[in-house]
This record gives sequence, structure tokens and C-alpha cells, in this order.
Amino acid sequence: MTASPFEIEIPRGRVIEVQRDDTRVRRGTGLLRGMAVIWKHWKESFKLNRSYSQIHGTFTIEYPEERPRIPEAYRNMPILLYDDETGHELCTSCFQCERICPPQVIHMTQAKDPATGKPVPAVAEFIIEYDACMSCGFCAEVCPFDAIKMDHEFELSTDDHLRLTVHKEQLLRPISYYAHIAPTMWAEVREGALKKLQGNIRRRPDVIGLAPQLTEKIAARRAELAAQAAQAAQAAAATPAPPAAPAAAAPAPAEGRKLTPEEKAAKLAAIRAANAAKKQQSGDGS
Amino acid sequence: MYDMLAALINGTLGWGWPEWALNLLSYILVVTIVLVVAPLQMLFFTYYERRVIARMQDRVGPNRVGPEGIWQPIADGVKMFTKEDIVPQAADRIVHFLAPCVVVAPTVLMFAVVPWGPGMVPVDLPTGLLFFFAISSISAVGLMMAGWASNNKFSLLGAMRAVAQMVSYEIPAVLSLIAIVIVVGSLSINDIIAYQTGLIVSNRDLPGIPDLGLGWFVFTPVGFVAFIAFFIAALAEGERTPFDIPEADSEIVAGYMTEYSGMKFGLFYLAQYVLNFLLCAITAIIFFGGWQGPGVGWLYAQGITPENPNGNGLFNVLAGVLGVFYFLLKTYLFFFVMVWLRGALPRLRIDQLMDFGWKFLIPLTLANLFSAALWVAFTRWGPAEGMLITVGWSPVLRWLAAFVVTLAINLGVYLWLTRVYAASQAERRRAELEELIAAGS
Repeated sequence: MTASPFEIEIPRGRVIEVQRDDTRVRRGTGLLRGMAVIWKHWKESFKLNRSYSQIHGTFTIEYPEERPRIPEAYRNMPILLYDDETGHELCTSCFQCERICPPQVIHMTQAKDPATGKPVPAVAEFIIEYDACMSCGFCAEVCPFDAIKMDHEFELSTDDHLRLTVHKEQLLRPISYYAHIAPTMWAEVREGALKKLQGNIRRRPDVIGLAPQLTEKIAARRAELAAQAAQAAQAAAATPAPPAAPAAAAPAPAEGRKLTPEEKAAKLAAIRAANAAKKQQSGDGS
Repeated sequence: MYDMLAALINGTLGWGWPEWALNLLSYILVVTIVLVVAPLQMLFFTYYERRVIARMQDRVGPNRVGPEGIWQPIADGVKMFTKEDIVPQAADRIVHFLAPCVVVAPTVLMFAVVPWGPGMVPVDLPTGLLFFFAISSISAVGLMMAGWASNNKFSLLGAMRAVAQMVSYEIPAVLSLIAIVIVVGSLSINDIIAYQTGLIVSNRDLPGIPDLGLGWFVFTPVGFVAFIAFFIAALAEGERTPFDIPEADSEIVAGYMTEYSGMKFGLFYLAQYVLNFLLCAITAIIFFGGWQGPGVGWLYAQGITPENPNGNGLFNVLAGVLGVFYFLLKTYLFFFVMVWLRGALPRLRIDQLMDFGWKFLIPLTLANLFSAALWVAFTRWGPAEGMLITVGWSPVLRWLAAFVVTLAINLGVYLWLTRVYAASQAERRRAELEELIAAGS
């Protein structure tokens, strides 16, 4: 028995009665049918259900003991990477991440060559305030050197607030760690990242750019540098001619740089002139 | 308990205590046991319900505190005790304080007449069943006190719903029990259990049936209909889903418990679960033979009983253990069914509840009462009572005739009532629509 939907207008609007066909006499069988459904759920709930294609069975993953497999692209908090073999950090302190960070929780200082005082493509200190980080992942996305990546670690609760201001030592992870948690994502960028790293390592003097916790690597590098210096000293004692070569090479970039200040000066003069003209105009106006 | 103590103190130990001292000691012991058992049952039931309903909803349920979460109710209890006790400023402080006591006291009193095993009843009242239901309705007063004293609209609504529901569902509950009382001829709960010996057929109705303690009332047409009606009414009395209208959390917060916190709330909770246990227990006792089951009767007959004073005390213990096992098994099974219904059914509306109680259950139980009378007439009456048809029939034929007649009556009434009830519901919907139409034109 199916009647057409009933429709009437009442002062407050329109009423539509939907025929639910529940006028037939069921004599309690509807109740039994409902109970049968629940019985099946109860009976099947003693089996585990991990396929998610079935509606029966227990889906629960009992968290501290069992852990769900975290998807590769899961992101929680940013970490920094360093190379396993050389111990060099991938970060060059280009400030891209600091600039894009929406809650502005990334802070860094660029490393400087102690001898010349010039900036080096490496980072001296890197701080992320995990307590205010919103896990947006912009920093990892914007990083041109693939140095900053999103971690899978999510158990960060602590009673020590200051611990959530994380410094470079705690942020650094080896590349092998990231390759383990996100193999395909690392494979996509691996070659480019390592190539850029090799380029950067060449421009890093002394032990700058080495992960600070790798004391053995740093000691080895220091020994290597000392040996090189000793060799160089020996070589210098033997032949005093070579220092002329760097001295000759040095002016070339310096000259190249000289152009820029000139341009700058010209630009500055133009702006000053424009400003003066503006001032005059406004003075005339008043 | 008195017999046991008398045998132990004056018999075995030979101390020669006076009767009043033995009585006092036995009652103190019984009361202590009851007061310990009642909250323990409640603790177990909360855990049991949560685990079972979780399984029905494809979850695991509490399993953190202790092995498989068995200490969860203790943890909840500790939480309840340490919570702040808040009394609203506008509340009637005295009544607000008294209400939980008035609700809990009757539920504990009801334990007085519940038999746990053969010879294991705290007080064997000749009117045990009447006592049980008379006491149970006192808690409605406590609910009304709670709702009124809280001075909160949700509390008052919840209390009024609770009282209306309890009052209307006590009628079908008691009517379905009267059918059993007619058949047994006694209000004593022990007599009702003693009647249910036999195998499928009670051997009081049909002597000569082997006694396996399975002559339960639920196997007779009268008992079956009474069981269904009583269980539905028990759900309403215990405020279980689908009749949890008084504390419908999606409508009126927590009903009469809204303004209670800490252990006062805990007491309401305790009362509710103890009442549920008792309702399951009384269902098991009256329709499923209580502690009756294969072996209990035989074991008890070997032990020390008033009829057999020279029996072996070991058999008393064995019969008691087996009886308590059967009794608790049945009780927990009924609680499982209560949870099962909670998992399956949504909450009724208050008018649907009233309709179902007054227009369906009461007529059904009244017809069942008539069937019960016929059952007695067929199985026991003779020419002296004016029952001339059964003259000369064998007991088997009498029993068969009673079975067929009551089955026909109950089935017929059920089919007719469902049809009438469905028609009345359809008619009500039609009337509501007509009202709308009248408002629209």
C-alpha cells in the first residue's frame, strides 16, 4: 500500500507527510529483527577487523600497545636533516622557512667564517618553538635544500614548557631516519638534495655545518684540517709563490661586486630626487 | 542461617547459647552479607554492561584498569567519592539530601526475600512477592523527592516522567505475576520456586515427571506471556532503554539526577543497578525457576533439611553452590538481554510508552490472568468446584487440555491485540494529520 505523499499548507509553512509504510501489523517481529542485527555485531566483535571493508568485527587499535602505521605524508613537527656519511647539515640558513612560517616560530642565525667574518651557507643556531608550531608543513615545502622535513613523532606532551623550545641539537636527525619514515618522499628529492649539499660543503670552512652532536666526526674533521694546515705550512715553507694565486683570484669577485654599490648609489640618488620633488609639490600645495 | 548457627554453636561446639542470641547473630550475619553483596553486584553490573554494549557497538570497552578492566568500577567508585558534593542554592537542602537515601533503601530491602539457593533466603516471608513489589514502589517517592527538591526544570520533568512510568508499568508487572500466583496458589517466593520442579512440565501439574529442576513457568503458555509482559514492564521499572525516558540525556540532561554530584549521584546509580539486578533476579526466580536446575534438587535432598535431619552437610554446600550458580547464570543472562535491547532499540516517546503500557500490556496480562484461571481449573479442579468436563480424565489429558486451551486464548488475544494496537496507532496518526489540516485551512 503506497499512497502519494500528502501535502498541506499550514500558517507556519508546508507539511509533507512521508508514507513510511509502517501501518502494517508486525507483531513484534521488527523488534526481533533489530535484535538479530545487534546479536551479529556482538558475536562478530570478538574477531579483529583490520580490512575496513567489513562492518562487523572490532576496529579498535589499542594505542599504547598497538600502534597504527602512520602514513608517509603524515606531518607533525618540523625537524632538520644531516647527512649520515659526512655529518653535514643540509640547512644553509636561507631564511625561507623563517619567512614563510605563519606563527613565526622558526628562528635562525647564519654561520659566519671566523677568519673573514663572511656568511657561510650553514646555520649556527636554529630554534623552533614546538609549543606554537601549527604543523602546517610550509617550512618543509618551501625549503630549497630539503633540509627541513616533517616528523612522524607525535608523543610530545611534557610538564616542562621550556623543552618545547627546541634547539638545533634536538632538531637534527640523520637522513637515514627520514628515508626510513618516508621512503618514497625521500627518494623523489634525494639526488637533488645531496647534490646541493655537496656544493655547500665545499663552501664551508673549518667545522662549520657539521652536526654539533657528532663529536667524532668533528674531531676527525679537525684532525684533517690540522693535517692540511701542517701540509700547507710545509708547502709554504718550501715554496712561497702559491699565496700569490689566491691574492690574484680574490680581486675578481671583488670587482664583480663593485658594480652593485654603484648601481645602489645611483638608485638612492634617484629616490632622493623623487622624494625631494614630492616634498616640494606638497609644500606648494599647502 | 539460624539452623546452621544453632547446629554449629549449640550442637558441634556445645556452647548452649540462648535462642535470642542466635537469632541476633544470624540476622546480623545475613544483613552483612546482603549489604556486601548488593553493591558488589552493582559494581559488576556496571562493568558487565559497559563491556557488553561496547562489543555490540564494535568497540572493546573499558579494559585498562586491571586484567580486562575488571577494576574499572572500583576506579569509578573512587572518582565518585572524591568528587565535590554540590547542592544548588535554590534547592530544598533536607529533601535534596534525603532523596538518595529514600531511593537506595528499598532496593536493599528487596534483597531480604530473594532466595539465592535451596534454603538460602534471608527471610522466607509468606508474602514475599507482595513485599518485593510493595517495597520497590517506594523508590518512586524518592525519585519525586529528588526531582522536586532540586528546583530544576529538568529534574522535575525527569521525576514526573519517572513516577508516571513506574506507576503505569507496575500494573502490568503485577498482573503478570498474579497469573503465576494463581497457578502456584502462594505469594511465597520459595513456594514459587518449589513449584518449578520437573522437566519442561512442572511435576506439580503432572506427577511422575522426572525432576531435573526444569519445570519452569516459561514453558507454559501462561508463563510465557507473563514472562514477556513482566520483562517489558521490568525494563520500564528499571528505567532501561528503550524506556529510559526519565533520564533521557538528549532531552532533559539526566532527569532527576541532574542536580546531584559526587556520592549522592553515585547512590542513585547504585540504586538503579541494584534494582536492575533484582528485576533480573525476580524474572529468573518466577519464570525460570530461580536456583532450580539439573542436580540441585537431588543434592539438596541428600543434605540436612527439615525433612531429612540425618543428611550429610556436604551436600547442603554443594546444592547451595550449584543453586547460586544457576541463579546467577540466569540473572546475568537477563541482564545481557537488557543490554542487548539497549543496543538494539531507540528510546520511546512518553506517549508511546503510555500507549504501550495501558493499551497493550494491561489487556494482554488481563487475558493471561483468565488463562491462568483456566489452567488451574483444568489441572486441579474437580466436580466439587463445578468443573464437570474433566471428570474421569487422566492427569496427562488434563494437562494437555489446559496447555491447548491457554495457548489458544493467549495466542488469539496476542494476535487480536497487535492488530487493534496497530490500528489505533494508525488512527492516532490520522487524527494528528487532520488537526494539522484543520489548522491549515
